[in-house]
Amino acid sequence: MIQVVYSTEHWIVPIITMGVLVVLLAAIILTEGRARVQEGKPFFQKPGRFFLENYDKMKLWGTLLLFAGYIFALDVIGFTVTSLIFVFLFNVLYTGTSKKALIGSAVIAVVASLLISVMFGIVFNITLPSGMCSITFADFGFTIY
Amino acid sequence: MLPFTIGISQILVAAMGVVVGIIFGAIPGMTATMAVAVFLPLTYAYDLETALYLLLGLYVGGISGGLIPAILINIPGTPSSITTTFDGYPMAKRGAGERALKVGIVSSFVGGIISLIALALFTPLLSAAALKFSSVEKFLIILFALTVIAALSKGQMLRGIFAGFFGVLISLMGMFSVNNAYRMVPDFMRSKMQDGFQLLPVLIGLFAISQIFEEAEEGMRFKVEKMDNGTSSTEKFSFADFKGQGVNLIRSSLIGTFMGVLPGVGGSAASILAYAQAKNFSKHPELLGTGAAEGLVASEASNNGLTGGALIPLLSLGIPGDSTTAVLISAFMLQGIQVGPLFITQNPNTWNTILVALLLCNIIMFVCMFYPIKWISKIIYIPRQRLYPVIIMICIVGAYATKNGRIFDVWALLIFGIVGYIFGKIKIPASCFLIGFILGKDLENYFIQSISASGGSLMVFFSRPIGWFIWLLIVASVAYALWDNAKDKKKKAAEAAQ
Repeated sequence: MIQVVYSTEHWIVPIITMGVLVVLLAAIILTEGRARVQEGKPFFQKPGRFFLENYDKMKLWGTLLLFAGYIFALDVIGFTVTSLIFVFLFNVLYTGTSKKALIGSAVIAVVASLLISVMFGIVFNITLPSGMCSITFADFGFTIY
Repeated sequence: MLPFTIGISQILVAAMGVVVGIIFGAIPGMTATMAVAVFLPLTYAYDLETALYLLLGLYVGGISGGLIPAILINIPGTPSSITTTFDGYPMAKRGAGERALKVGIVSSFVGGIISLIALALFTPLLSAAALKFSSVEKFLIILFALTVIAALSKGQMLRGIFAGFFGVLISLMGMFSVNNAYRMVPDFMRSKMQDGFQLLPVLIGLFAISQIFEEAEEGMRFKVEKMDNGTSSTEKFSFADFKGQGVNLIRSSLIGTFMGVLPGVGGSAASILAYAQAKNFSKHPELLGTGAAEGLVASEASNNGLTGGALIPLLSLGIPGDSTTAVLISAFMLQGIQVGPLFITQNPNTWNTILVALLLCNIIMFVCMFYPIKWISKIIYIPRQRLYPVIIMICIVGAYATKNGRIFDVWALLIFGIVGYIFGKIKIPASCFLIGFILGKDLENYFIQSISASGGSLMVFFSRPIGWFIWLLIVASVAYALWDNAKDKKKKAAEAAQ
């Protein structure tokens, strides 16, 4: 029996789901632990390493930081200029700072962000984040975000 | 007037979808799901029919493109072409790359068409049956979908179910529509999380952004060795390659279609099963894996067979067959159309359009790949480290536009990118999580409706014969999972003993 009471019914399914999750978690720990015991290892094992051995710290954390920075800047600066800056920075992060790579990064950043901005913002009329560098051309009825 | 929508703009959009899809499919690490997710925001500007041409084009192209790197550089472009490498790469190595590619493309086409026929035949039948469903059966069907995940996540049964229910839990965050009360949301987030996390940022985060994190961790060092012998062929392709392959073609396509119908089962499971069957029934099983066209046929027919199959439960029950069709749900939602048992009767034009679009996309795929394959296969040399920054930008546009411009959804994108990355590390299947996340709210509504109607008695779930039938399916899928797990363990133990 489960009484459906108006004021608390929003918790019925979440609580059941959490219960199921706890049971499943216990089952996972038990079966995997038992399997380890059968192999002659201890029931609990120290978790293996999370990151790859010699993982690329610069690129992984750089991606995370740039991503967060990108989102912060979007609302402040506006889509087109922010994208231009961050697509360039992502490119530099992934391909390095040799002269050839830098030129490639700059070209990709400019072309891609202008293209996407015009295609989505103007042609398809999708709202993009706007900020201080967004310009509205009221006479022509469009905005470069 | 035609009973479906087609025009020059639709054909162009479909062609664009197929070509972009092939590119996504052909670049290892980028998938059909990613292609559909990234381009979904583009469809905001279209009507539903045109949007479907684009999305189905991306889907068909994305699944098909995977065979190119699988054959030429032994890396599956999408998970579902993993078995294509078994025979495709040996063929390319001995100089029959072009022949292998063409065998793969023809098989893909046949697989796509057979699954289309299955889609056209079975969706109305399943819809008609589903019309008789009350909330009890609908609840049980979703429960069944969650247990099927278990049956097919090999050796990962518990983790698969766990991920599914975890997805359900996350989908319940926000306001419950019946009594407008919040749960699992801190007070200050209420204005933003009234209906929880949006599907699109969750999905792009899990499948696209997490991928970028993973590759960043590996240092984004992609070296593709140029293969010259890939297309300078000594063995020429001819349709005689398909002599005696008819049964194999049809069997593999149907396996793909059937696996596609089961929710949460990806293309890789389908192609592995089809390949295994091709080997079982082959007259020369010892040749498979050494560069036999037979294996290629099985692999590619089955993974394209998936496309139509995965649409069957989506259109008849509202349950997506795989992660790509899960994205299609949001395309329908955006246009205010409910997929489910009433879909065909209420939207006959859209339904016909889907069939026509799928046929057209398969034909375009064939034309775009079969003849210019020499040039198309150059795609695999596009450096991914140059593409990812642009992908990130497009993902951000998509997430931002989800609810017509909220920066919160972009943060959600990043959060689920990190979540997906962590899932990968602790071996929790993200696709199972996603199925749970998509079905969670329905699961809750049907459950509450069912027990409200019965005055709180749980016996309501055992009260009707259709319900018993679904229970039977649930028990069967769990039993199969247990049996399969045990078999797997025995096999491993036997191998260890040797």
